[in-house]
Amino acid sequence: MDAANPLLSVDRLTIDIGGANVVDDVSFTVAPGKVMALVGESGCGKSLTSYAMLGLLPPAARRTAGRIMLENTDLAALSERQFRKARGKDISIIFQEPSASLDPLTTVGSQIAEAYRVHHGVSKAEAYEKARQMLVDVGIPDPTRRLDQYPFELSGGMCQRIMISIALICGPRVLVADEPTTALDVTIQAQILDLMKKLVADRGTAIVLITHDMGVVADIADDVAVMYAGRIAEIAPVHDLFRQPKHPYTALLLASVPKLDDAPKADLATIEGTVPTPNEFGAGCRFTERCPLATDKCRTEQPPLFDCGGGHRSACWHIDRMAEIREVAA
Amino acid sequence: MLRYAVERLIQAIIAIFGVLTIVFVVMHLSGDPTLLLVPQDASAEMIAQLRSQLGFDRPIWVQYLEYLGGLAHFDFGISVVQRVPAFDIVVSRVPYTAMLAAGALVVAIGMGIPAGIIMATRRGGWLERLLTAIVVTGQSVPTFLSGIVLIFFFGVTLRWLPTSGSGDFASLIMPSLALGAISMSTFARMTRISIIDELGKDYVRAGRARGLSLGSVVFRHVLRNAAIPVITIAALEIGNLLAGAVIVETVFAWPGIGQLAIQSIQSRDFLVVQVIVLLISFVYVLTSVIADFVYALVDPRIRLVR
Repeated sequence: MDAANPLLSVDRLTIDIGGANVVDDVSFTVAPGKVMALVGESGCGKSLTSYAMLGLLPPAARRTAGRIMLENTDLAALSERQFRKARGKDISIIFQEPSASLDPLTTVGSQIAEAYRVHHGVSKAEAYEKARQMLVDVGIPDPTRRLDQYPFELSGGMCQRIMISIALICGPRVLVADEPTTALDVTIQAQILDLMKKLVADRGTAIVLITHDMGVVADIADDVAVMYAGRIAEIAPVHDLFRQPKHPYTALLLASVPKLDDAPKADLATIEGTVPTPNEFGAGCRFTERCPLATDKCRTEQPPLFDCGGGHRSACWHIDRMAEIREVAA
Repeated sequence: MLRYAVERLIQAIIAIFGVLTIVFVVMHLSGDPTLLLVPQDASAEMIAQLRSQLGFDRPIWVQYLEYLGGLAHFDFGISVVQRVPAFDIVVSRVPYTAMLAAGALVVAIGMGIPAGIIMATRRGGWLERLLTAIVVTGQSVPTFLSGIVLIFFFGVTLRWLPTSGSGDFASLIMPSLALGAISMSTFARMTRISIIDELGKDYVRAGRARGLSLGSVVFRHVLRNAAIPVITIAALEIGNLLAGAVIVETVFAWPGIGQLAIQSIQSRDFLVVQVIVLLISFVYVLTSVIADFVYALVDPRIRLVR
């Protein structure tokens, strides 16, 4: 990982809901033009982390510690009024449900232009011209006609391109993508991922990609942080993580992805047990109950993120016993 | 859009036709009006003579066609009590009720919608609690009671406003408040619920994510979306106001069609009652047609698809 010159660094972020740390001590950095993927199952805190980066946490959730540094500014320390100036301009987000994220009663053109006019005092005509240009950039044919259409007249993939236009029209340095392709069908997913790759390459935008899809991660990410029950289990460059997982959770997760050369109708590999709920979080490692390597130490002491070299870090007391996991998984 | 408009108009015509038919049938089910028109000691011959003179001895379908034919010429019959066309009697009272309904609507919408917006966006504040108290009161006090309380307080005790009559603007204030109070509460509750519902939607978070303040998102996007269910309520409430006018006009001695309806029922002037029922039904149907067109103006999904 290019830790020398990060654009965005989330530093020891902790988020509380009803007295439980549903995001606990989460740190990662992203360099310009890179894609950092946050992966994990539903409820692991990855979406809350993304909302915290935009200052849009739901009312029940509270950031209790941590910094969100965008170059030299701590976004988390900004007032709501100051944060508003950064939203959409310095850091943007696209969501899982593109169609629901657009106002159904307003034309897409007016919504894209609005995103530009919030941050720049320009005429409506000028903002519309910007919006038209943006539609060309995200590969929407016949942009002039599209600007006057309403969200219900566009497909899900088209709506996600509109959301990307809204997110990028002010040229933000960081784009947070919260499961941007989950609601789309597979061929459209590939198109949207290609588009995001191109945008990273052209503009040097840093992307924080929230997903639970390992295929998407392999396709687009440079680095991966695997989250489990609110904590980072393992963080590594994408190839290292896939080739040499150093946390039992990651290893079992990768083993559960079905492969083409599996025997037909073979049982899918699963991880025994369920994710602990926030009131079941103990003092030790949160994966203990499901982990084949667990010892008494795991139950009582939270492992720190050990540095394994080359930007690869893992929060496990038993990194040296990972060979055993490979046997379990095989 | 054209197909949508034609569909709505055809539905409205069917609805009005249904109302005409129901009014006709109910008038006949409630008995032969001849008996009401003759003196107590009339002989059977006199009754039969009057009955055939009025045409009530003919088959019901003949009477029905004649009734429809008369309506087509705006002939609603002659009031048996006042001996002038029933339609003219009702029309002379319409401006008063229209004025009262407009006043009540100003109270209901002008106070109800802003109250609903504040209750939805300032949740947990003292202003929300105060407005909730007003809305619950407006909703739960029956019109005849609130009318009498208003008369007692502003008319008798404070002597600020006239207790009855229809001379000027001042005399319109209390009847409008009494009639509009319940509708005001309905508008406030619907607006509040509708906005809270919209605030939970994804496009609100997305709007904030592009740098809009919550207030701007509400003003530019939420209110329009929240308006759709409120329009439905508005159409129904206008009809309800006319029904409520019967009570309010009686309490305030306001010479509108509500008061006329009560007087006509008491004097068994059935043709006048019939015109009033038709008029109120017509207003009901008309407002719901207007509401359908307002939906189409607000919502492109209706305007463009159908």
